[in-house]
Amino acid sequence: MINIPIILIFIPVVTSILIYLFKWRHMNLIAFAAQLVMTVLAIHYYLYYRGAFELTHIVLGGWDARIGISLVNDELSMSFIFLTLFTWWMVIIYTYAFGKTKHTFLFFLFFLQGVFLGLLQSNDLFNLFVFFELTTIIVTILIAYKKVGESYRAAIYYLLLNTSGVLIFLLGIILIYFNFGTINMVEITQLMHTVEDTTLLRLSYLFMMGGISVKAALFPVFTWLPRAHGVAQSAISALLSGLIVKGGLYLFFRLNFLYEGAGFAYSDFFFYVGALTAIVGVMFALSQKDMKQILAYHTVSQVGIIMMGLSSVDEEVFFGGVMHTFNHAFFKSLLFLGAGMIIKVYRTRKVGDIRGVARTMPLVSIFMIVGMLSITGAPLFNGFISKSIIMYGFAETSVRYWILFAVNIGTATSFVKMAQIFFGPKTVSYPMRHLAQNTAMMMLALGCIILGNFYIPFTTGFFGIPFDTVGEFHIGHFFDYAVTVGIAYMIFRFIVAKDYRPIRLIREYQVSFETANYVFIVYLVALTTYFILI
Amino acid sequence: MNPILTFLVVLIGFYGLSTSTNIIKSVFSVTIIESGVILLFLNLGNFEPGSIPIINDETVMIVDPLPQALMITTIVIGSTVTAMALMLCIKVFHQYGTVEWKEILRREDIKS
Amino acid sequence: MNTSASSSSRTVVSVSRRILLVAMLLVLFGVFTVSMLELEELYNDYGRQYFFENAFDETGSRNFVTSILLDYRLFDSLFEAGILLIAVSGVIWISKHDVEEKNARFMIDKYKTPDLFVTFSRLVYPLMLTFGFYIVINGHLSPGGGFQGGAIVATAILILYYINPDKETNIGFIVTVEKVVYLLIIVAASVSIVTRGTFFTNFFPVDAPADLKAIYLVLLNVLIGFKVSLGLWTIFTAFLKEGR
Repeated sequence: MINIPIILIFIPVVTSILIYLFKWRHMNLIAFAAQLVMTVLAIHYYLYYRGAFELTHIVLGGWDARIGISLVNDELSMSFIFLTLFTWWMVIIYTYAFGKTKHTFLFFLFFLQGVFLGLLQSNDLFNLFVFFELTTIIVTILIAYKKVGESYRAAIYYLLLNTSGVLIFLLGIILIYFNFGTINMVEITQLMHTVEDTTLLRLSYLFMMGGISVKAALFPVFTWLPRAHGVAQSAISALLSGLIVKGGLYLFFRLNFLYEGAGFAYSDFFFYVGALTAIVGVMFALSQKDMKQILAYHTVSQVGIIMMGLSSVDEEVFFGGVMHTFNHAFFKSLLFLGAGMIIKVYRTRKVGDIRGVARTMPLVSIFMIVGMLSITGAPLFNGFISKSIIMYGFAETSVRYWILFAVNIGTATSFVKMAQIFFGPKTVSYPMRHLAQNTAMMMLALGCIILGNFYIPFTTGFFGIPFDTVGEFHIGHFFDYAVTVGIAYMIFRFIVAKDYRPIRLIREYQVSFETANYVFIVYLVALTTYFILI
Repeated sequence: MNPILTFLVVLIGFYGLSTSTNIIKSVFSVTIIESGVILLFLNLGNFEPGSIPIINDETVMIVDPLPQALMITTIVIGSTVTAMALMLCIKVFHQYGTVEWKEILRREDIKS
Repeated sequence: MNTSASSSSRTVVSVSRRILLVAMLLVLFGVFTVSMLELEELYNDYGRQYFFENAFDETGSRNFVTSILLDYRLFDSLFEAGILLIAVSGVIWISKHDVEEKNARFMIDKYKTPDLFVTFSRLVYPLMLTFGFYIVINGHLSPGGGFQGGAIVATAILILYYINPDKETNIGFIVTVEKVVYLLIIVAASVSIVTRGTFFTNFFPVDAPADLKAIYLVLLNVLIGFKVSLGLWTIFTAFLKEGR
């Protein structure tokens, strides 16, 4: 029973190798079977250890805890594990009828699942680094999977930028090791209270935070994300936006917990980093015309909102940020999967050229509308819950509240723009029946609605806070939402649709690779200034 | 003194990353950064005097073997990242005809 | 004079930016120097003491680096071997020519390898191979191990490409063998759940004599060396084949 984490990590790895070796015709069944076994084991494990997660700490090999590698779980990692399993279910259902090269695709996909589950459970810093690099390499291969020109350039941009970020993370690990003599995270958390506050400690903190920021796509090192998520296949984009980016945020939370004993005041700095990320993401999203690029920039902006929640010292707002992580995984995957189907039918990615989706593909339209309502924060859907928690954590007249309000308006404007695709006459014929894709999208849409209304058991079980005051049925919430959409529509009609010169300039602004690295160093120096020199 | 100079190697690698307009130079810069990080860890590991971590009957004290083991893993990881990056460079060259970053990121006409 | 509006293949980073960059890097350098000066008081060598006192008795290996790689941190080594597996499959997948490419210029062997080089390679090849095997098998007694020895064996095999440039290799078969060996490594690492009750360590008990434990170490070293050499060989072949 206590070894289930290891089995959970190795089932996908071994399954992926078996799928690659024996090119059976019905490999989908094997994939489903493996996923089912893992889900059952995970549920069993959670129910067994609920309430007593300190007992889940195992050291592989039975060695002394400060020398060997150990795995540990708690409520947060269990919730992420369930999210991982669910997202992978969606992806393998969606890509059910994929094609001839399915073996290689499933090989990389399942290996990634095993690696990601290891990342969530690992308690050893160098092990985290190995999993980090593995994720980077597999995601690079998945981005370049389509083998067209733009995939290659996105893949190499992603690979080099993320590798340099992860090497900075390794520098942080080195400095910690020589300070503490061990790289076991639970041990370091306890030892942190006894160690004095030195420049070495702060330098290791900022190196690790700098490395994580590249992976989590924070401002100003997020430039790899729109490229990578915009050119990958829809299922891969859904996976990346929904889950892999959250891996970086999960590590952000874990490392801040590691350094809790040292008492760094990181809250303000990371709030403003999150705010900048959110604002810049929305600005770029408003200016784009390519549907997948719009969604990718929205991922950046939602990550900013999550960071605004995660950086706060108030426990409720913090858990609002964690909850937004889950909600975003649901609705962003839904939007990407739907966008993938629409693009395949209409053969173009520009929002301006797609019209009449509501008549041509009614089922997909319903799912996309559910996704759009969730991301803009409509009541009765899940985005509303987490956004409200974060917003109500700030005082009504503070700068923070208005920043979040502005980001909400920007998001709504962008989706009003995207909603234009639904209107208009039927222009393309759509004879195909896509059972697999529709099933996946329906499950995600149902998830959005369920989490929007019946979320109390989830939050009590995983976070310990019921949040029951937020979701009460209050006519004022509908009124607020209507006002937001109204303002968004005004902005759309009079500013965005005219495509003024500034918008065009923003759209064509490309950050070259050397500039991205230059900006990364500026970010590191800003971190240094904030944490060491001030 | 040694760790400080090795960190200088890492910074040189970052300088290279931030000023090279050519993809191959960026790959080289990442390799330099990685070599610098590996040397830094090994240098810090040898901080206290000792002999190599292979014991026979006369060993008095050894150097810390953990950094050396971790760096073996890092070297393997670094070489695989370099291999993948170079293969992607070749493919980018086949598609775009150039290996300059600005050209590649600007051209919108290559879609398939 | 023909000027095209979008192409400027020589773009240079401006001097002011470089100066600012150097200034920022010097800031980082200064902070690092300050923290290095503090290191002398803070240096914690718990790990070193532990390994010196216990590692030989617990793992049976005189080379402590091998004992860490194959016993204390075997989990890391499994995923390190996994990273090679992924990189090999990824490189092969990316290098396959499925799509029409416009600018493909294939590598032509313009230079014939000098005869002196070929003759010496024929002399050196068996020595290198033996040296590689020695390093792999003796990983627990002298510097070496699976990863290091595997790289040497791979280099020895690659010399064959210089001796005989038209050598054809069946990549699919090698990749299949490599994956089977990886599964064998996972199985060998997991046998300890039966004999000792925990995963990923030596399958002999802790108090067994060092000679018995060495069986496990040699077995794992040989498997890892085999896998690494196949992997590196495949990556090189994929690069060569891409150009042909």
